[in-house]
Amino acid sequence: MRGYTWIVFKKELMDTFRDRKTIATSILIPILIFPILTFVMGIAMQGLFDDVESHVPIAIIGEESGVTEFLLETGLVEIKPEPDPMAALKDLDVFVVVEIPAGFTEMLKGKNMADLILHYDEASQKSTMALGTVQGLITQFQQEVVRQRLIDLGMDPGIVTAVKTESRALAEGESGNPVGAMLYMMLLPLMLTMWSAVGGIPAATDLGAGEKERQTLEPLLATRASRSQILFGKYFAVVIASVMGMLASLLGFLLATLLNPTVLASGGIMPLKAVLVIAVACLGLNFTFSAVELAISFYARNFKEAQTYLSPITILVMIPAYFTLYLDGKLIPESYFHIPIINTIAIIKEALARIYDPRHLMIVGVWLCVYVGIALLFTRRMFSRESVIFRN
Amino acid sequence: MIRVKELSKQFGGFTAVDKLSFFIPEGQVFGLLGENGAGKTTTLRMLATMLQPSSGSILIRGIHAIDFPEQARAHIGILFGGETGLYDRLTARENILYFARLNGMESKAANARVERLATQLEMTEYLDRRAGNFSKGMKQKVALARSIVHDPEIMLFDEPTAGLDVMAIRLVHAFIRELKAEGKTIVFSSHTMTEVMALCDAIGIIDRGKLIEFGSLKDLEKRAPGMSLEEFFLHRISEERR
Ligand SMILES: Nc1ncnc2c1ncn2[C@@H]1O[C@H](COP(=O)(O)OP(=O)(O)OP(=O)(O)O)[C@@H](O)[C@H]1O
Ligand SMILES: [Mg+2]
Repeated sequence: MRGYTWIVFKKELMDTFRDRKTIATSILIPILIFPILTFVMGIAMQGLFDDVESHVPIAIIGEESGVTEFLLETGLVEIKPEPDPMAALKDLDVFVVVEIPAGFTEMLKGKNMADLILHYDEASQKSTMALGTVQGLITQFQQEVVRQRLIDLGMDPGIVTAVKTESRALAEGESGNPVGAMLYMMLLPLMLTMWSAVGGIPAATDLGAGEKERQTLEPLLATRASRSQILFGKYFAVVIASVMGMLASLLGFLLATLLNPTVLASGGIMPLKAVLVIAVACLGLNFTFSAVELAISFYARNFKEAQTYLSPITILVMIPAYFTLYLDGKLIPESYFHIPIINTIAIIKEALARIYDPRHLMIVGVWLCVYVGIALLFTRRMFSRESVIFRN
Repeated sequence: MIRVKELSKQFGGFTAVDKLSFFIPEGQVFGLLGENGAGKTTTLRMLATMLQPSSGSILIRGIHAIDFPEQARAHIGILFGGETGLYDRLTARENILYFARLNGMESKAANARVERLATQLEMTEYLDRRAGNFSKGMKQKVALARSIVHDPEIMLFDEPTAGLDVMAIRLVHAFIRELKAEGKTIVFSSHTMTEVMALCDAIGIIDRGKLIEFGSLKDLEKRAPGMSLEEFFLHRISEERR
């Protein structure tokens, strides 16, 4: 960057970062959004677990039996004396109703198979979760009964446990919070792509349409700086603003993992290789979208129009971002590496899964160069067209 | 010195400027008159090399402006429209300096020039305040300083007093007179006949893209004695359209 391009770049950067609105939308909001989001999610999740886990309110239909006793002893359920248990379930006064058919105790004593019915409300998340808890407890009760029967028969209870499992997470430095780690893997690519794409919008709006609206574009075009020098000075300023937005969102994301580790678990420090791959992928988006946004902004007659034209970009990025939300970084179809935006998300997901496939890296790298090239050509064309610059 | 030959501009199939030819000697103030949509702004934009002409040639102080737009622009200053905006988040000084630097001035020379202009235009007081909450008059002065910061020999004004209040208009008129006294070549478009009468040496009347009249004010008086400029203007246009 030399001469007039540099002068334009410096001025636009200074101008952009003196704007409180731009600072707020491209730096403050991305920093705050994830800590706030995870905080709210944390409270909601806590509420859900508290209610269900500490003491699941249940009701019993039928006779008293060993099951009732067993359930009470675990301390995880609270048995409510409801006159009409099914009505209570409907009102969610209790989450599960355990129906013990007549003769249940006799069946057990006679070493027969006894039936037990669990009622729950499939429309209620709490009831569904409570069902899982109660089912687990019943299974424990059942195992206890079987164990006793085997001992009575003089056999080793171990013979019915053919396989004993233990879960061990794969990633090193695992936080022991699989849900948090999964959310992290899901949301990080989404957030990075989103902000890389939209981070430049406020700056682009101001540097293109804003200049027209202020009527400073004509004096600017009448200086000795050439069109492309003006364009590139502005372009690099938008790129910087967009990178800042992306970095701010990353900072916010990392802050969220520190503040609310129950919701978002980072799963330890990322290796440098992954950081590099992710950085290059994001920069590819920064460079592409900055060019497109600036072109659109120049096309707009005024500030308002530019905002209208530029807002669909957010949705445009959101669709592939949500489409790939549940995509497993280890099972990405080859074709995904050829689809714009999706390929960037795919390569980020692979890097997060510590996969560095040279073929995939090459494909996405080439595509990113193509995108940047096309976007820049498009922008240059826009900025050199009289019907665009002097549209009124 | 500005020499224009057979200058035309088409937008799609529409001819906005049609084979304009004129010569403006060094130090002359030339007024371009015309109705709305006559082609004044288009002509001035081509002179400023912002628009590429469809055909014809422009010579700015001996430089072929179409082939060497950047060199030509070094000699040109523009002030288009009455209320031109500034960069609100930049100070007055930063606003002017930016244009000085973009016109190839070294940082030191640019700074000295800004100081001098600030004194001349009496704006030292607010030179380092952000332009966002300047009054109209203050903004106008900064815009004037911006247009001449690189000391161009040729100034192009497109309706520089449109939409301005009385005080601002006086300021602009005084500014143009000052430039004239300094020997600058000036082209300006206007709807206001009194303004043209007061400031110009020569005029051109442009109608639907064509230059239908061109000459010094003295010549015009000889040709149409007793006629005001306004009467002459209307007379020539109706004659042309018959
Ligand atoms: N970028 C453009 N694209 C298409 N047509 C244009 C463009 N710029 C100007 N025109 C048309 O060219 C004609 C001349 O316009 P111009 O702006 O030069 O007129 P003007 O004399 O400056 O008028 P006014 O007094 O209203 O400013 C008008 O009919 C206008 O609609
Ligand atoms: Mg005009």
